[in-house]
This record gives sequence, C-alpha cells and structure tokens, in this order.
Amino acid sequence: MSGKNVRVAKADELTELSMRINGEECRGEVEPRTLLVFFLRDELNLTGTHVGCDTGHCGACTVVMDGKAVKSCMILAVQAAGADILTVEGLADDDKLNPIQKAFTENHGLQCGFCTPGLLMTTLALLRENQQPTEADIRRGIEGNLCRCTGYVNVVKSVKAAARALSEARKESSQ
Amino acid sequence: MSTVLELSKKEPEGRVEDPRLLMGKGKYVDDLKFEGEAYMGMVRSPFAHARIKGIDFSKAQSSPDFIAALTGEDLIKEGVTTVMQNQWPPQKPAQRYHLAVGKVRFTGEPVAAILVRRKNSLEDLIELVEVDYDLLPAVTTIEESKKGTNLVYEDWGNNLSQSSDEKWGSAEKAIASAPHVIRAREGIARQESAPMEPHSTLVRYRKDEDVYEVYATVQSVHGLRGRLSSELRTPEKKFHVRVMDMGGGFGSKGAQSYPEPLLACLFSRMTGLPVKWTATRTEEFLEAASGRDQYCDITLACNEEGKIVAIKANLECDVGVTGTQNHMSMLSMWTMLGHYRVPNVEVHMAAYATNKMPIGPVRGAGAPEGCYFIERAIDIMARKMGVDPLELRRRNLVAEKPGKEDHIGLINGLIDRSGYEELLKWKSQVNSRYRVQGPSHSNLVAGLGVSYGGRSGFGGDANQDEGWGSEDSPGGQSNDWSSQGSADQWQRDSRDSGRNSNEESEGKSSGWNGSADEGGGAELDFESEYARVTLDRKGNVMVYTGSSPHGQGIETTFAQLASEELNVPLDRVTVVWGDSVKVPMGIGTFGSRSAVTGGSAVVDACRKLKAQLADINNGKLVDAPTNRPGSPTIAEVLEKRGLAELSAESIYKVGSMSYSSGIHLCALTLDVDTGKAKVVRYVVVEDCGRIINKKVVEGQLHGGVVHAIGGALLEKLGYDEQGNLLTSTFMDYCIPTSLDTPDIEVYHETTPSSDTLNGAKGVGESGTIVGYAAVMNALNDALSNVRPGAQVNLAPASPDSIFAAMAGD
Amino acid sequence: MIPKRFDYYSPGSLQEAIRLLRQNGEAKILAGGQSLLPLMKLRLAAPTALVDISKLVNLSHIRDNGDYLAIGALITHDAIEHDVTIRDRFTLINDAVARIGDQQVRNLGTIGGSVCHADPAADLPTALLVADTRFVMEGEGGRRMVPARDFFVDFFSTAVGHDEILTELQVPRLPKRSGSAYVKHSLREADFAIANVGTIVSMEEDGKTCREARIGFGSAGPTPLRAASAEQFLKGRPLDEATISEAAERAIEGANPSPDVHGSREYRLKMIKVLTQRSLGLALSRVGMTGGGAER
Repeated sequence: MSGKNVRVAKADELTELSMRINGEECRGEVEPRTLLVFFLRDELNLTGTHVGCDTGHCGACTVVMDGKAVKSCMILAVQAAGADILTVEGLADDDKLNPIQKAFTENHGLQCGFCTPGLLMTTLALLRENQQPTEADIRRGIEGNLCRCTGYVNVVKSVKAAARALSEARKESSQ
Repeated sequence: MSTVLELSKKEPEGRVEDPRLLMGKGKYVDDLKFEGEAYMGMVRSPFAHARIKGIDFSKAQSSPDFIAALTGEDLIKEGVTTVMQNQWPPQKPAQRYHLAVGKVRFTGEPVAAILVRRKNSLEDLIELVEVDYDLLPAVTTIEESKKGTNLVYEDWGNNLSQSSDEKWGSAEKAIASAPHVIRAREGIARQESAPMEPHSTLVRYRKDEDVYEVYATVQSVHGLRGRLSSELRTPEKKFHVRVMDMGGGFGSKGAQSYPEPLLACLFSRMTGLPVKWTATRTEEFLEAASGRDQYCDITLACNEEGKIVAIKANLECDVGVTGTQNHMSMLSMWTMLGHYRVPNVEVHMAAYATNKMPIGPVRGAGAPEGCYFIERAIDIMARKMGVDPLELRRRNLVAEKPGKEDHIGLINGLIDRSGYEELLKWKSQVNSRYRVQGPSHSNLVAGLGVSYGGRSGFGGDANQDEGWGSEDSPGGQSNDWSSQGSADQWQRDSRDSGRNSNEESEGKSSGWNGSADEGGGAELDFESEYARVTLDRKGNVMVYTGSSPHGQGIETTFAQLASEELNVPLDRVTVVWGDSVKVPMGIGTFGSRSAVTGGSAVVDACRKLKAQLADINNGKLVDAPTNRPGSPTIAEVLEKRGLAELSAESIYKVGSMSYSSGIHLCALTLDVDTGKAKVVRYVVVEDCGRIINKKVVEGQLHGGVVHAIGGALLEKLGYDEQGNLLTSTFMDYCIPTSLDTPDIEVYHETTPSSDTLNGAKGVGESGTIVGYAAVMNALNDALSNVRPGAQVNLAPASPDSIFAAMAGD
Repeated sequence: MIPKRFDYYSPGSLQEAIRLLRQNGEAKILAGGQSLLPLMKLRLAAPTALVDISKLVNLSHIRDNGDYLAIGALITHDAIEHDVTIRDRFTLINDAVARIGDQQVRNLGTIGGSVCHADPAADLPTALLVADTRFVMEGEGGRRMVPARDFFVDFFSTAVGHDEILTELQVPRLPKRSGSAYVKHSLREADFAIANVGTIVSMEEDGKTCREARIGFGSAGPTPLRAASAEQFLKGRPLDEATISEAAERAIEGANPSPDVHGSREYRLKMIKVLTQRSLGLALSRVGMTGGGAER
C-alpha cells in the first residue's frame, strides 16, 4: 500500500485522493459514490477496464489491487485510496505484449475483446498464486469472468500457455 | 482454385486486432468522449401494460444538472415515424414510437428521455421524473394473446402479428397411413443475446454542416444510417455513423431499431451538446431485442425403413411488442425440414404479440429453433423405432451434390473422431452402475445426443430439387399475412425489405438494403456485400468493407484474403470498416454472412484491381511490391499512369447464401437425485468450406456451442403474471461460466463452397444452430434410463423440470 | 448503476466506528462490500452514510484458542479457504467458502460481512449455524456474545444492533471422531443455493453409533434453520443408509422454501432431503481423517 487513506468524504463534495496505478501515483477528485471503475475510466481516462454489468457478476472490470484480483465496479474509489493497482494498461512494455498477452493472441483467447482486460488481470493474479494450474484450477479461477464469445475453450488454452511461458521465463532468468 | 486452399497454410499467429484489444486500447463506444458531453438517461415504465396519464418533469427540472427532456409527444411533433418494422415476411404495422405515446406496452419501455450535465446525477434525476400510470392487464403468454381479451395494439382487433403456411403433398394422408408416427410439443423459452458490452451511443450534431456524427454499438453502420434517415425523415448523407470496436452483438445490435441513437441525435441538435448514453445491464435485459420464445407441436411420420414421409407442425411464437426484424419464425419453418427429403409437409406458423420487449434475432435467428424441432423429433422417432439415431439420419439425408456438404461423410467423421463406439460403452457402463444406493452417492446416468444441421437447406435443398416449396407448387397458400414459400421469393422480398411500414424514406432504405448512392450498378441486398480495395505506390493495400466485425476477426481474415489475391505481405494490408463515410455502403455482420458475402466482395475487388494492374502493365501481372528482376515495381507502374493509387470496387452478390453444416455429439451425465445435467464431452465435425483462419473458425464454433448449451440448460427470461421481468441481472439470467461447459472438440471435413469466391461457408451461428438439439437429445437419452417415456422437450431444461419429468409429473 | 449519495467514513478505531453508527441511524457498515455494494448500485439499499471498517486492525485473525477457533470478522473468504486448520478441522466451513461467488468476490468479501448480510441462501450462515458458532459484537455498552440460534433473526437481519459491530466468531472445537460437510445445489457453481445443507456428525467409540448429529439448512425460510427433529432421531442410532434416509425425511420439518425461477417449493423441499443425505454421508466419510475433530 502507498499513499493515504481517505478518512472522510462528504456526499455532496468532491474529495481528493491518490493511488498508485501501474506504478505511477495518480490523483483525482471523486464523490464517495464514485466506483473505482469509473474513477479509472472517467477521471484517469484508463478506458481499458470495462463495465459489463451492474451487479458485479461479469468480471469485465477486474483489476489487481494490492496483489489480489478484484472487481473494480464493486469497490468505491475512496476505499481504494492509497492502494497499489494494476490495470490492463500496465501489462505491456510500451507496445511489447507481456507473456500473458502473447499467450492469449497466440491461442485465440479473445474475440470481441470486451471481457479480455478483466480476464488478463484475473489470469495475472491466478498465475502468481498458482504457477502450474490444472485445467480445473483455471476454470475455477476464471469463473468470475463471463465471456460470451469464446466459450472459454481457447481462454483456458491461453492461460495454460501463459503458465508455461512464465515458467520458461523464470527458468531463463534463474540461469 | 488451388491457390485458395493452399494459402490457408499462411495463417498468421495472432489476429491483427489482438494487440490493441489486449493492451486495453480498444475503442468501444463508451470509451469515447467529447469535450462538454452531456448524458442521456431513459425513464422506463415499471409496468408491462399501462396508460400514461401524465409525465411531470418539475422535480427533475429543479436540479442544476438538468438540461432537457423528450417525450413521445415531442417525437410526434418532430415528425419522427413509428419504430421501424421490416416486412419480410409481412407483419402487422405496430403503432409504437421510440418513446411511449398513450400507453406503455412492456416493462422497461421508455416513456421519456432526459439530458443531464453530470454522469453521477443521471439516475438521481431519472428517479425524480414522475409518471402517472393507469394499470392495464398484461398479456404475458401466447395463450392469453390468442384469447384476445386484452389487446397489445387496439387497432389490430386481435394480437396476431404474422402468420404463414407451408404446404406440399398431403401430410394428413401420409401420416394416417404411416407405420411410425411420433408427436411432440417442443419449445425454446425467451432468451437473450447478452453480449458483454451493453448498448451505447454517442452523438454530436455538427450545426455548421448539418450532420450528425453518430457512434453506436451496431452490427451495421449503414443499417443504422438507414433507420435514422427513415425514422427522422432526414437524408442519409446527413448521418456519419461509426463504430470502432464492439463487444459482441449476437443479433441484438443488428436490425432492431432502438430509441437511444435517435433520441441522442435529437438532443444533440436541440442543445448543441455531444450526447452520450450507455445502457446498464438491467436496461440491456429490459430493452434489448430478445429471441427464441417459439413452440412447436410436431408430428413426424416415417415409413417402415425409417424414411420420413411427412411432417406436420404448428409453430407459435411470442414476438412481444413485435420487432424490427421478424423473420425468425419463418427461418424456423425452413430449417425445420433440415437436410431431409420430406415429400409431404404441412406447417402453420403464427406469431403473437404480448407485453414483452421486441422479439429480435439471437444467434441463429430462428435456425436454432427449427433445427431443434426436427432434430429432436428425429431422435424421438429413433427411440420409438429402436434405430440408432445416427443411422436414422443416414437413411434420410440426401446424397451429396458437388460443392455441397457430404452429409454421410460428416456422420462417418463423427463416428471416427469422437470414438463413438467407446462413448457408447462409457454410457452403458455409467447406466449399468445406476441404482439407488446409500448416502453421499451421486446417482448418475449418462446420455449421448446427436444433431445434424446448419442454416442451409432453406426449405431443404432436397425438397427444392423435387420442386416442392416453390411458388409454383400446388397447395401453396397465401393470405394477407403469410409469406410466399420459396427461396426465390425470399430473395425478391429481401430487396424490398426494410421499408418503413408507414412511410417511404427520403434516402434509400434501411434493414438489409444498403444504399447505392455512388459506385453505380448492382443494389446491395442480403446476398451481397460491398468492398473497395486500393493499392498505393508503396504497395500498401486498404480494404474497405461493409462487414462490421465484433469478434469475428475480419481485420485479419479479410486481410488474409487480400494478401493472397494480391500477393502482398499480410502486414501491408489494412482493413477499414465501421464508418459510413469511408465505406459508403454495406449490409453488415450478422447471420453468418461476412466471410461469404464480405469475403467474396473483397476477393472480387482484388481481382478487379489485379486486372487494372495487368491493364496498365500491358497484360503483365505485377507482383507487388517485391522487385523481381525484370518486372516493374508498383510505384513505377502507377507513375506511368500518373496515379497515386489504384482502386477497385465491388458489390458482389453470391450465387446463393452458403452456410456451414455440421454434426454435433453431446455426452452428458444427469444426477438423478437433483435433476442437474452436466455436459461432459462435446464433439463437432463440421464443413465450413474453405477455412480462411482455422483458429477464428474454431473460436466461432466454441462460442456458438456454449451459447447453445446455455440455451438448452440454463437461460430463460422469466416473467411474473403482471409481466414484470424477473431475470434482469446476470445473477438471475444464467449464461454459462467457465465451470459450466467442457472443452469443445472441433474437426473439419470441408468441401469448398461453389457459391462464394473464397470457398467459405458462413460459420458464425452454426455452433448454436445445431447445439440445442445435441444437448436436449443427450439429456433425453439419459432420462430414458430413469423412467421410460420421460421426456423434457422445452428448453431450457432446468433441474426442476428434469426432476419433474423423472417423477412423471 | 450509481448508488444514491452517501457520506463516507473510514474510522481509525472500532470505538470511532461505533460512535459514527450511533450518530447516524441510516449508516451502514462497509467491510468487503461484496454484498452491500451490488444492492446500493441497484438502489435497493440507500444508506446515507457508510462506515468503512475494512482497514481496522486486529479483526483479521484465525486463532486456535483450544476450546474454540476464533475467527476475526474481517477475515476474507479467500483467507479462510486457504487456512489449513479450518480445512482440516472445520471442513464444512471450508466447503462453504469455496462455494461463495468467485475468486474476485472471495478476495474482498469477509465472513463478518456475509453473516451480517444474513441472506438465508448464502453459504456461511448455514454452515456457522450448524457449527453452533458464537458471535461476538462490540457496542458502546461493551462486548457481548450471541449464540448462532439467536443471531439470525430474519431475512437480511441479525441480532447485531445498529450501533454494534461484529468483531469475532467463535467456533467451538468439534468433538472427537467428528466429520463435517456443507453441500449446495445451485444452477451454476457460484449461484445462490436452490438448497444448501451443512452437517456435523460425531461418533461413539465404536465408530458406528452416532453420538450427536447437527444438521442445518438455508434457503427455506427467513433464516437458516437447524433440523431439530432429524438431529434428535439420529442421536444414539447407527449411521447407515436407512437412518440417514429417515433423517433426511425429517429434516424438512420447519422448512418453508419460496418458489422462484429456479425451483418450485416441492422441488426445493425434495432437494433439502437429497442434500441432507449427501451431506451426512460426506461428513461420515470424513470422520477419523486428519482433524475431522480428533484431538491432537
């Protein structure tokens, strides 16, 4: 965690807050009722994180907050003040896709792309927890990310491929 | 064309569209922003059927965030027409406006729209708009609709929206004398497209040019342009419609005319502000045109050998307040004859209006229903006759024609690839273990189900050959509200379709007619698509297409086609779509048509371009842009003529629409104690003709099949007696998650299509079209081990309904 | 989608949180927010103030106190799922959290938030009722403890006073030779239960006779319920197919499930019976496994 918590935020006022996003300190002003996903999309113009539903079921809004995959539509921005957040925009190095993104494109793990950022972040957190997930682990891990295009078949393949790629990268860097 | 098939080896590793989508750099409509934009919100009826006594904006107006409001009366004053309805087949005109006038007819129907300054205050102000309603009894079932006690549209006199008949031979006679006759009541409940991206629109009216800059989540920018032009009685050239990235459509972002883009245009013109609107998921469920909701009483008769002698069926559909697109039930009528020769047919279809949201195309748009009706009936017959389901199909599928599917080959392919004999053994083992045992023991039975079909076989190619189902065949009926029987007539009608049922539009068309303002020559229709290809001096190729991808990978597959035809590297080709100015006309992406029509148009345009190159270079075809010794570069060739670029256009009409077929096999276990079904294995053997990109094709099939599994076991839009929608969140409307479906195995046994220029057959909907019956047949196969005669023929087959069937309720 | 307006507070201490609640009769506690926020986004709930206790310390522990396991109210479902003690010795709680929502929800949702939300179709309330959990809450008057039977009062309503905060759950150690299980029947894995049943069986030394059985179910009334008649029946009897079946028949006494899109009343009652059998069978099979309740 970095930065300061918000202690009080009044309903009709805009409260300043800051949080670390993709390694950078970001500031903004929000109402208490501003959801984290709207802070990202509207205040900071990080529109890679998407809104697909209004009850926290679809997972399109998933980001990694303080190391855990969370749905950013189910958190108030003020709750996330001071937190360390990773969004899809933080994955690639300039325009070079990271191993997870590469695995998804090589295995056709995306079609319309709308659920994809959320799935990538869930995958990132999943593979940090479990470096060699089985198919069952993967299917359970991505249960909170709905997809209407892929039928999950190539998503599972992509996550497996990403696990392998990360494992290779670890072996290489340890040599 | 040998090159067409060889070059499929040159598939790229990933798709062209992938990097931006993976980096979160996609531009979906809600991602776009204009400086100073205002936010539109809809005031929606909480009741299914009620008179509007009054609307009071005073509380909302007292907020400093309030900017403006619109009601149905305002629309009428503006001269806005009623909501567009296509007339293929003819349907009764529905006097319904984009904002309700006089009465509301479905829960969620908008009665007013407001414009506010800040996004956060939108819902606050919507709540402050007070609408006074007088409740009316809601018509919520087909039965109630048929009674006609309460009318959805008073001027109709009843609730019948459209009806149709198809008849040849004498089904009654054939059934009476057939040794094997089965009857069943089948159906699929109302279901949603549910793309992950909700509908959204952003409009900026540019006063100086008198042009509406419209961004919208649509499967065809030209379709929206046509609708806006027609409904706002404004020339098409006043609308610049765009979409950049779209998060799925599955039909719901297709032909249905929604209020929001039109209202955003009006607001933007009224206030001079850019106007943004995005649906919440709840609004998606309330308003997006939903599909299925068809029920079929079918009688299937076979002779001693199991050959079909007759089909008699009565189809009933609940079309809600009626939709812009209304052909789904007719498509069901056609596809329910499958690929089988049926010498005697009597099918009657009637569609009824109710107090539900408009009916609309949902992946397959009537074909899943039709395929389900026949394929389920075949299985019931197979069980009655004691014949293996695959064998019964073998006996009835017509022999292959050149360029068409090898039906028997596909069945044999399935038996090989799925290890069918092993699966039969597995099923047998599971079922022999089934007996009531002690606690904590899951009592499982197993079932296998197959289904064969595809969107092709409109009226049955087999039957067409015999002259059945054509306009000229005896016994064809027609009345005011019926369709004509033949595919030919359908083709003629489709050119006329899309005209607003009340008014002629000033510009051309809507629905399936793109406009042909420039470019001359053929008029676009459902069987064609527009493409333009340019080649510049550096050897860069631009492909402009009327297709409109939202997951189908067209930026990649069309680039592949152009790359092959013109022999340029893939990374030199850019596909441009989704812009009604850059692409002056088009039909769009829906109905499994893009590779077929759009792809053919691209190939055609490329060939015309090559012909021009040859022409410039005096007959020598130039390989662009490589500089082979002795041959001029593209730059030199163009320089010679003083041209910056070459350009060729195509409006290409295919010989006939070409769709993939396939045979699906579903292996399923059923927990006898709870009624919970689980698909444990699923195999597809399919023929989509030339595979342009294998991963893309398989991805479409995976998604389509999983959509069908959801439709067969999980998904239902539920209503209470007052017409309230009970399932308006992803909690209550259950689409499959990653835990609900298995791996989907796909194998290909392809025959290139002779009707398209690239040999491809449409595959986008095939997984869904064929999938329902595979799952339901597997389920019923499993059920037969629990109680002989137990059947569930209404989808979705919920655990509750399965349990009831097992108990004999 | 956007909640109604509210003031937001993130107090630095429990006492400050309690004071804030007392000062505002319409304030609600925010912990993980995974139950509350969806309701607020649909505007089905509209508290005028939120008191965010998620950052308070000393409420996220899992401590073995010998006679009971002390679980801090702010511990997340994910943390519970990974806790070895709970998995081995209070397996039904592990079973329950594993069925809650999805990974993202489990990462933020807390045990305190879940039980105070008190949805009878949720997983933890049923499991904790079966385990005779004691609920510890603090208010301005000090600390008090409420047993599970008195904790769940009605739909979405518990014994926690408006200006009290649940701080700890105490789950009594299971007797020797115990096994436990929680099973759920739902349309999809993460859906709310059509039926859900938790059981704990504690066996005599002979390993065949049931010394005590505890059976509880949710989704059949305003609160989760104990199946007293079934429990009474099994006491002192051998646990076998016949007795378990009979217990399942008795289990539905007092059950009153409401029909909905996923199941009729009759179907739901039958599912309680089926799940009671399955849960008892599974709990029985876990007796004698590591920590099924055995003394170390």
